[in-house]
Amino acid sequence: MIDSRFGGASGLLQRLRPVRIGVDDLRDVADTVLPTLSTAALRLDLVQRPGAGSLVVLEEDERTVRTQLVELADDMTRAGVPPTPEGMAAALATWVAHRPVTDAAAMATGVAVLDWADRSETAIGWRVVVRRGGLALPWTPSRSAGAPTVHRARSSATGRAHDVPLDLRVEGPVALWSHPEVPVLATAALVAPERMLGRITAAGLSMPDMHVVVTPRRPVACAGPSIAARLAGETTEASVTVPWTHLADLPWL
Amino acid sequence: MSALPAGTSGPAVLVPYWLAATQRSQLATAVRQALSRRPVHPVAVVHLEDVLTELHVAAARDAVWPASAARVRLATGWDPDVLPVRLSAAELASLLDLTELPGSVRDILGGSASS
Repeated sequence: MIDSRFGGASGLLQRLRPVRIGVDDLRDVADTVLPTLSTAALRLDLVQRPGAGSLVVLEEDERTVRTQLVELADDMTRAGVPPTPEGMAAALATWVAHRPVTDAAAMATGVAVLDWADRSETAIGWRVVVRRGGLALPWTPSRSAGAPTVHRARSSATGRAHDVPLDLRVEGPVALWSHPEVPVLATAALVAPERMLGRITAAGLSMPDMHVVVTPRRPVACAGPSIAARLAGETTEASVTVPWTHLADLPWL
Repeated sequence: MSALPAGTSGPAVLVPYWLAATQRSQLATAVRQALSRRPVHPVAVVHLEDVLTELHVAAARDAVWPASAARVRLATGWDPDVLPVRLSAAELASLLDLTELPGSVRDILGGSASS
């Protein structure tokens, strides 16, 4: 499996026969790149430890990530990152973009979406994600975040989800919703299924008993129950079909 | 996986027939012509309307989960507009009864079903 923390899949040959990323080369790149990625709130340091190898330390609000540079180099090698300064710099920037979401960021910019509730992909629930460019990163509340903070962040994220602009495509009796840039945001509209029904009706479809077929990170399909069953029942891909009236009852993850 | 109420009877077994966009269009036209031009048995009407639905559902399925059909197209060298249209035995029988069905589509439906 390709490690998405370092960007998109690289060339097939690189994945089959990855070229080793040297830790010294990565240190040189990190020395140059990490300061450019730092912000007032995000601190990125390369800590030199004689005899123990270098450490990348990422600090933002309550979150701290410490990673051995040699482990980072190995992970990049396995992910097929090109062993060029540009390739390593891009991979480092993508790795930083995948850093954990802080409580403050979730509170300020979080959006509610549906995600898998389990690794075997049999159930779904609501999750707060934060957009960073073309990525949407999940928020796990910190240990210091109390129940009121978590509740406020989820409420704000639900409100923001109303405003996520989605593309609607009508395919006969099926309405398909997608986000043009960040696939995981396709489920944001499900916080307000009545509004979805309004747009579907305006597009000429009647769907009083709308069922929603959800595969997180894929377009959302809405249809009557028998058509939804036909759609989802004939694929080996994991999905969950939910009557629209049950969406609000799905748990928070 | 479905959260549909338990206890409802499951759908019939559907078999995929791989059709290009032109063939799907010809199939839809033939069905619509049959439904509009002459009396059709009410049961066949239901099956033929389900075929029209499936033509849309097939496209929707490919929009939501494009990977599996893309793998088949890659392996076979088929064009990007070739999609699996999944039909029950009853729907297939109703289609094969149509005199309007073009020969090229009839050939695919008649002999090259694959799973």
